[in-house]
Amino acid sequence: MNEIHGFVRSDGSVGIRNHILVISATRTVNVLAALVARNIRGAKCFIAGDEDGRCKQDRETIARVMFGLGKNSNVGAVLVVSNKIDGGYPEFNPNYMAEEIAKSGKPVDVLILEKEGGFYNALGEGIKKARRLSVKSSHARRELVDFGSLVLGVKCGMSDATSGIIGNPTLGFVVDRLIERGGTAFFSETTEVIGAEHIVAQRFPSDVERERFLSAVTMVDEEAKRTGEDIRTINPIPANIEAGLSTLEEKSLGAISKSGSKPISGVLKYAERPKNPGLYFVDSWMSSTSLFLGYAASGANLIIFQMGGQGLPPQEPIVPSISTGFVAPILYVTGNPRTYEKASSEIDFNSGRGIVSGEKPEDIAEDLFETILETSSGTLTKAETLDYQDPVEVYLTGPCL
Amino acid sequence: MEGRKAILLHEKDNVANLIEDAETGDTILIIKPSGEIGIIQALDSIPFGFKIAVREIKKGEWLLKYGQTIGLASKAISIGDMVHVHNIEGIRGRGDRQEEKNE
Repeated sequence: MNEIHGFVRSDGSVGIRNHILVISATRTVNVLAALVARNIRGAKCFIAGDEDGRCKQDRETIARVMFGLGKNSNVGAVLVVSNKIDGGYPEFNPNYMAEEIAKSGKPVDVLILEKEGGFYNALGEGIKKARRLSVKSSHARRELVDFGSLVLGVKCGMSDATSGIIGNPTLGFVVDRLIERGGTAFFSETTEVIGAEHIVAQRFPSDVERERFLSAVTMVDEEAKRTGEDIRTINPIPANIEAGLSTLEEKSLGAISKSGSKPISGVLKYAERPKNPGLYFVDSWMSSTSLFLGYAASGANLIIFQMGGQGLPPQEPIVPSISTGFVAPILYVTGNPRTYEKASSEIDFNSGRGIVSGEKPEDIAEDLFETILETSSGTLTKAETLDYQDPVEVYLTGPCL
Repeated sequence: MEGRKAILLHEKDNVANLIEDAETGDTILIIKPSGEIGIIQALDSIPFGFKIAVREIKKGEWLLKYGQTIGLASKAISIGDMVHVHNIEGIRGRGDRQEEKNE
């Protein structure tokens, strides 16, 4: 079976969830956006942090996240909230944002504090608008579609030796399968390609894209050296070293197998939406507080977080990030059978069984694939069941001025 | 054959990964990519997920895993020694070093 039950949107994209999203387009209305959302069952509210004093590149990044989340196929309806119709930085113009998001075919509305005659009037009007959007969005129904409609974002974290031996290779087989069926997948973590970039570089058919990839890796390498610090005190992180990974190169070589073996179509900036399906490298910081948000803005339906976890506490540890994919749920998988045992209430799939049984990643991948089909068709991930949203960070690199 | 299992990921590798905890003196079964099993003795206590040297390695020699270089030996390493931050140095991203070694 290669099919899922997904929400087919009018722009042809397929969603695996049907969220109501409230976007605060400027920090001065964060509280308005948040209080509107709080009154709508199941609504998500995106708040970016302060856009003031940020350079153009960073403002564009923040805007890319807002637009991208709004367009994400897991989102059924959007309310854009702002202070005024005009004014403010041009990147965050609420009407333009609403128009662009509406091109995806979903119901979109705009709430302007000034237009409603102040905060308290706007709060009431906002709740009215959001309730209407919620009902409209609920008309969407799941249909049977090919698995290749999916957009997947993958990351490995809390890596230990099992990540490279079985966890990432198993995930890589699933990514291969998705790409073969015309789907889209993102992998990233530029720092953690250092030491393995020569292998990844061979998978770019486009010379231009390969150069962009190698430049991105060189830049991070230079930044690491400019700190004057030994990278080993930064990355691998303490959890990796305590679990037996000794060098960044070792970590990177174990990490890249999660991207599978298919050709890489290109390099994306953080939160950039690809123009065509395919496998993409996203040039980004590895942190799950920001990377998954970026993946969701790029269009990801589902995030797979492949864990090592040997360094986690021995009894009932919790996983690093709850719902930082924002509108894209996180499926937690591990290649470490000990991690699964101590954290099975948090982890959805155990490819670590192969460490004990000797099963090969390729065979275990069949079961992981089934789990992904089920999650895409509506089965909740364990992390999704918590009514808690971890804070997210937009990955910004510019100066604060 | 009794022993603690370790996985050799590539025939060229000079380190293998323990997939069971091992004590000093334990027999280690190195599972090679071909399926053959090599036998060595652990000279250190080596926990699950940590590396063991499967060949003699000189100071300054490359450590190989996945058939690729993962760093340089900062000390001489004997067969059966644990290999970790005390005897291997990563080369990349080293802002603390004046000069970069070429690969």
